[in-house]
Amino acid sequence: MDRRQFILSGIALAAVASLGGTLSLYGWRQSLSADEHHRDLVLSAILPALLYGALPEDATLAAAELARTKAAINDFLPFLPLRQQQELHQLFNLLANRISRLGLTGHLTQLAGLSIPQRLALLNSWRDSYLGVLQQAYHGLRELLYGAYYGQPEHWQPLAYSAPRFR
Amino acid sequence: MTHHLDASQFTQDQQFEADIVIIGSGAGGGIAAEQLAQAGFSVLLLEEGAYYTRDDFVMEERWAYPNLYQEGAARKTRDQAIGILQGRTVGGSTTVNWTTSIRTPKLTLDYWQSEFDLNFSGANELTPYFEKAEQRLNIQPWPVPPNGNNSVLQRGCQALGWEHTIISRNVNGCANLGYCGMGCPINGKQSMLVSTIPAALALGASLISRISVRKFSWQGGNITGIEAVPVDQHFQPRNDIRIGIRAKHYILAAGAIGSPAILLRSKVPNPSGRLGKHTYLHPSLISGALFAEEINGHAGAPQSIYSDQFVWPATDHIGYKLEAAPVHPVLMATKLLGTGEQHAALMQQFNRLQVTIALLRDGFHPQSQGGRVLLDSQQQPVLDYPITDYLWQGARRALLSMAELQFAAGARQVLPIHHDAKLYNSWREAKAAIDALPMQKYRQTVASAHVMGGCNMSVDPGKGVVNQQGRHHQLQNLSVFDGSILPTSLGANPQLTIYGMTWLNCQLLRSELTTA
Repeated sequence: MDRRQFILSGIALAAVASLGGTLSLYGWRQSLSADEHHRDLVLSAILPALLYGALPEDATLAAAELARTKAAINDFLPFLPLRQQQELHQLFNLLANRISRLGLTGHLTQLAGLSIPQRLALLNSWRDSYLGVLQQAYHGLRELLYGAYYGQPEHWQPLAYSAPRFR
Repeated sequence: MTHHLDASQFTQDQQFEADIVIIGSGAGGGIAAEQLAQAGFSVLLLEEGAYYTRDDFVMEERWAYPNLYQEGAARKTRDQAIGILQGRTVGGSTTVNWTTSIRTPKLTLDYWQSEFDLNFSGANELTPYFEKAEQRLNIQPWPVPPNGNNSVLQRGCQALGWEHTIISRNVNGCANLGYCGMGCPINGKQSMLVSTIPAALALGASLISRISVRKFSWQGGNITGIEAVPVDQHFQPRNDIRIGIRAKHYILAAGAIGSPAILLRSKVPNPSGRLGKHTYLHPSLISGALFAEEINGHAGAPQSIYSDQFVWPATDHIGYKLEAAPVHPVLMATKLLGTGEQHAALMQQFNRLQVTIALLRDGFHPQSQGGRVLLDSQQQPVLDYPITDYLWQGARRALLSMAELQFAAGARQVLPIHHDAKLYNSWREAKAAIDALPMQKYRQTVASAHVMGGCNMSVDPGKGVVNQQGRHHQLQNLSVFDGSILPTSLGANPQLTIYGMTWLNCQLLRSELTTA
């Protein structure tokens, strides 16, 4: 994403935010609730980018690692405070939604339609955004997704790490 | 009743009574339970977390964080700029801490005397109570050579002529595994879980786990009861069952976020206006370093060396304590920088990574007045902690000290954990880069493992929530025995301060309740 697109995204996001009341007329009121389909769609797009270089090259193995990571995320979310769960649901729902894609990504293509470098550029543009909410999204997703991936002993081989066994 | 009840198993409303009810089973609640059970009172100990014991501790972060920590170890300040590691299980943070045991620094006590009239000399001398706690929990200087991670701290300090000390740890039969943060699987760590709580239960005390205290009822100057609910399997408060508890005396020990939250929900008198305010975190900066040799920061006692070289600077600057932090996959993956290949490459250096942390001593300066506990729409606490310029200046100096130390200890490369930083190849390069890093929230990673304040002690009721004995200034049958009573941060890891102070305050309370 180039600088111009990035600024456009910010403007579009601000517009989306200011339209909050109007948008709720179109069913956006539900965006705080969990939607497993939306979550899966977004995770399927972001995880392969975030984990690029960590996932195995073998497609079957990589798919198994992605599935394990998604399951770990789904298992972990209910332990977060409801306030934070709602924020994450909202983020997943927004990212899966067409209007917000304009806002958050500056792209009208689906997230899944972006190449891996484009998806990484998108994530990094959130990190560097002047909007606090996008920076929070970057750090929040990064922590949640990396934590879920590296929490699985099956994913530790490249780290040459194993926990001691004593019983 | 049996000694332990799991509130999540209750199928109908419940009522309990005891002489003394203690809310929270961490450093404060655990010590109080044993002391007061020994004195012959009927004691009821309440804990929001579950009663997990060593057989449950499988040394995996994916189990430990959701099951043993507040908010799945993902607790954050309100703007999400600071991550907070805090225990939520029987034994509280003592079940998951890294065992570092340090007496309250004298300069901290001196500051409290000058600002809050608190006098810890004479009858209030803490030393005998530190000695009792050290004996009870087998707190001794760690006799084993430091692990790779802590050796770096030691070597760096030696090379630079900086102060450094061998850490005293509350362990007995420690196998030097390095998994303290996930619950000790062999009961080596002398947490409340394996020491005072089983002792209190053996003396007839009762424990209810998976219970969330929602509020106190109070009338005039007295607490009249507790309203509580069970939590669900994810530790979220339920609303289908109500639990009422009455006692002669109430002890609040739910930690520096939990205790103010209960008092705020209860809308207790707050004439000082300080309830839930002046909450301190020891905001901590992180510096990674890559070595040619393997460090294996996951193995061995996680903290065995600290440096107080910069804790009490002669200038007006904020002080900071240098320690090491254990290196485990989730802890590291979530803190290391970048995305994609950059992040994966760093993770592959896992065993060569050393991690130093710097804990800022917050609360001793007009521009370091801490944070504030608020209640969200679910009535759950959230800490608002603005990071001031004064703290950011300290953060930069801390990053500089850590990089200098790591290079002095032989690091090949140093990586300050700041999202604009990269691996630097020399102290000179790192210094120039750190001097130019933008000190802003989110870009600069900040973490905390020590939450203090929010119900601060003060002799003057206008300047605090409780008196020096932890007694609430307005509610006569309420004591607060946890880190929330500390008027500033400590400049040292807090568990031993809480043990000693609670032990002393229990002596005063038991003699008063016995003669009453």
